[in-house]
Amino acid sequence: MAKAREVPGLHAELPFSEAAAATVRVRVEELFDAQEGVLDTEDIERVHAMRVATRRLRAVLEIYRPCFDQDYYKPVLRDVKALADALGARRDPDVQLEALSELAAAMPRADLAGIDLLADEVHEEQAEGNELLGVALAESGRSDLHGRLLALVEEPV
Amino acid sequence: MKARKVKGLDPDGPLGDQLEKIVWVRTDELFAFMPRAADPDERTHLHDMRIAAKRLRYILEIAEESFGPYAATAYKRVKELQDLLGEIHDCDVTLPQVLDLAERARQEDVQLVRMRAGDAKDLQPRLASGGPNAQAYRGLAALATYHQARRELLFDRFVDFWESLQREGFRSRLEYAAAERPPSAEPSHDGNGVVEDLAVPSPSTP
Repeated sequence: MAKAREVPGLHAELPFSEAAAATVRVRVEELFDAQEGVLDTEDIERVHAMRVATRRLRAVLEIYRPCFDQDYYKPVLRDVKALADALGARRDPDVQLEALSELAAAMPRADLAGIDLLADEVHEEQAEGNELLGVALAESGRSDLHGRLLALVEEPV
Repeated sequence: MKARKVKGLDPDGPLGDQLEKIVWVRTDELFAFMPRAADPDERTHLHDMRIAAKRLRYILEIAEESFGPYAATAYKRVKELQDLLGEIHDCDVTLPQVLDLAERARQEDVQLVRMRAGDAKDLQPRLASGGPNAQAYRGLAALATYHQARRELLFDRFVDFWESLQREGFRSRLEYAAAERPPSAEPSHDGNGVVEDLAVPSPSTP
């Protein structure tokens, strides 16, 4: 898992709301920089990186909640959660397929038919997850989630 | 699982103090799952504990720089805990999936064997072998056994790990670290280092 980008200027005495703005800006850029190529099922690390970035962003939004205008905050958090769910719907089968592939390499040939049967099902889940993710990414672009997240830190309480 | 609300957070207050309040609540939240989560059948409880560990981990990731030195160790411990609980959760998700698939595969074969019997008065046992999923049963049974046994092994590790956290004094050390603030980075009067706190006597002071 990629290490979180450092947030410059954070220190214990910094006002909570200033820390919120600085941290959310970094986490938002981290998320949208990770967006490229996530629908490629051949490269599962991309979706993993974006999912981790979404989790980090969601965590900081929840931690700094009192620093934001709640009218802006609630719909933005809801949309970040929706994106995180869609990333999970794609990532969970990715992880399971990777684990099944490792198991297949370690188990006797006679057991492979069972593993293949399960893998076929998980491949279907992966395709469904990828479709969901495609829809969620399109929706985040249409609703300008990136812009709304940045606007959130420009609208202090 | 909904996170407990943290009261008294002040947007204008210092970051370190606000993070300390959050860490107290999130630590309480995590510890509240024990000892119930030490029951291997309490799957939902264990899953919720994993989420509580994740919440504490993320706050520590942010707070590490604002707290005393043990916060960095606490972050590593919570990450280890979360990873371990995550592996157990994966087994809890995969095992029923494998058992369900095995049952569906068997039902498919039952239907086929029934069709093979046609209008016969009774079923010939030989018709029951060599169904389309016959090869898959063995692998699915092995997968189910693997996930169940791995779950038991990982659960034992979780109980041991929790005990090691207790032995290490994890909670009290984290709470102490959360109340500590790192030395100010403010330059000293001569510009060569941090300002020394002259009010605190050194151990060699008579």
